[in-house]
Amino acid sequence: MKQPKILFLIAVGLLSLVLVSCSGGAQAVGGWSGTAIDDGVIYAGTRDGRLVAVNSSTRDVLWFFAIVTTSSGGLSCGPTSVAAAIYTTPIVDTDLIYVGTYSGQVLALSTVARSQNLTFPQQRYGEWEWYCPLDGAKSNAIVADLAMSGDALYVASSNGRVYSLDKQFGDLNWESKVLDERHGKLWTSPVIQGDTLYGSTLDGHIYALSAETGELLGWSFEAGAGFASSPVIHGDTLFVGSFDRRLYAIETGSNVSRWRFPEEEPAGNWFWASPIINEGIVYAVCLDGRLYAVEAETGEKEWEFDAGSAIVSSPVLTDNLLVVADESGTVYVFDLSAQFVDEAVPLKTISIGTAVKSSFCAQDGLAYIRGQDNSIYVVDIERGEIVDGWPLSLATEK
Amino acid sequence: MAVWNLIIANPVLNVLVALSHVLGGQFGLAIIALTVIVRLITWPLNKRQLNSTKALQEMQPKIQELQKKYGKNQQKLQQEMMKLYKEAGVNPLGCLWPMLVQFPIWIALYQAIMSALAATPESLLGLAQRLYSWGIVNQAIPLNSSFLGLDLAARGNIVLAIIVGGTMWVQQKMTQAPAVDPRQESTSRIMLLMMPLMFGLLSLSFPAGLGLYWAVSTVIGIITQYFVTGGWGYLKLRSPFQPTAK
Repeated sequence: MKQPKILFLIAVGLLSLVLVSCSGGAQAVGGWSGTAIDDGVIYAGTRDGRLVAVNSSTRDVLWFFAIVTTSSGGLSCGPTSVAAAIYTTPIVDTDLIYVGTYSGQVLALSTVARSQNLTFPQQRYGEWEWYCPLDGAKSNAIVADLAMSGDALYVASSNGRVYSLDKQFGDLNWESKVLDERHGKLWTSPVIQGDTLYGSTLDGHIYALSAETGELLGWSFEAGAGFASSPVIHGDTLFVGSFDRRLYAIETGSNVSRWRFPEEEPAGNWFWASPIINEGIVYAVCLDGRLYAVEAETGEKEWEFDAGSAIVSSPVLTDNLLVVADESGTVYVFDLSAQFVDEAVPLKTISIGTAVKSSFCAQDGLAYIRGQDNSIYVVDIERGEIVDGWPLSLATEK
Repeated sequence: MAVWNLIIANPVLNVLVALSHVLGGQFGLAIIALTVIVRLITWPLNKRQLNSTKALQEMQPKIQELQKKYGKNQQKLQQEMMKLYKEAGVNPLGCLWPMLVQFPIWIALYQAIMSALAATPESLLGLAQRLYSWGIVNQAIPLNSSFLGLDLAARGNIVLAIIVGGTMWVQQKMTQAPAVDPRQESTSRIMLLMMPLMFGLLSLSFPAGLGLYWAVSTVIGIITQYFVTGGWGYLKLRSPFQPTAK
């Protein structure tokens, strides 16, 4: 009688240990990589860890590259290869596509090499591909979009540091000190103006760093709450959303904000996405489902529009048409040049029927939006209709 | 799910985040404070359980007397034991109720810890929809997951698992009345091992924050039990059926 009970106990214990150790190493695939378009090709990271290039006219998948990472399986499962989650929107620079992954890799992929499906990384003359970390030193999740300026690529990492990489060869130019010591992670993208790089942190700081050396410059700004969005710079003013449900305008070099919006009662939720600025007006979307148009100089509200669903991705401006997509999958087009109609009333409203969390791009009157259903939707902005939509699943690729 | 979030999960989450802000951004301290609050809320139930334990301890001489008298007739012994429990108004299984009542709180706390720590970008974004508009709550976000060298969002902390299992074993041993026959003794011994073992393993697989809650909650339980029942209960008591060392 005693022996079976002991065996049962041991079996329960071992089974639990196996389950615990196996589940520990699993990494969820997901992410909200947005779309980029260049020379008639749409580039997007998918929710199953691939970078896909699609011909914008024919919708043919030109190539795809599956980004995998090694995951430790704990006590009993051993290392396994899993797809990497991609949160960053690809950056296109001539023949190279740059993307960062949640597994801490930065990749530079050659469009020529990828279209021929050559082994990665190709490092021949004219097709120099690379990936980081080369030495495992930067193996921390990359959530924020990469930034590019001159010959350098700037990467904010979940280890709290900003890295500058040579964009051609991937060599490390410099790494900054840990900017967010409280949380140890940077999830917002830096912005570069001239020789200065500005980075916002989850613990409510904005730091100015030398873009050349990564050294902290004399100025930093401290707010009462953490910053939820990546900063945007316009002139000498940074615009950034905070967890205290306000948008801040901060003059570089100043220790006090120029204004905060709303001044009195906070908004209904966080300003998660970066705002855009056009002709002296800041267009800021909020997780409370509203689009706010605010005077850049004064912080006075011009108008607001309630979409009724959280707005996660930044708005896009093309030919004076402002495109906003909300989490319910509704796309709104606002005519900013309208003189005889109310700007706050959308010119067009289009439903794509799936949640939108990714940043998106627009070109030649078309917006290319990646939905959370892993499909790309092409929206004709002026006509206000979906022109096309196709899934990025493997089954549809050639 | 919406009702659950509205009534239990979101209030627990927001209180936890607010406590974290009040306690200098220390999420670990917020968990400890919430544990104390939960203990205070469930005090009436716990008190009933402790009184029951105390009554069982006071009945111990009578139980031993019955064991001597009816040791060879198990059926009769059990009948007499039940009679004794009934006369004293004691339910030997009464200690299970406070634990069952705490299950929804554990689930809510688990969800709150997972949400509040926002280990992934999705969970940070998801947190936005669950927080109240209180300034104190939004200023605390995102939370710092470090506490006394522990990463409260991480899993697999073996030291914490041992502490959870060990303290739970002590508390169980203090409460668990000695068996009245060898068969019951065997079951009791397994029960005494199973619960600490299970919670120890759960502590390994859940975020350390939840393990911290279990450990603190159990230590508070041991302390209150010690003072209410006036001692270590059955902790040092050896089972009459346990084989003695020769």
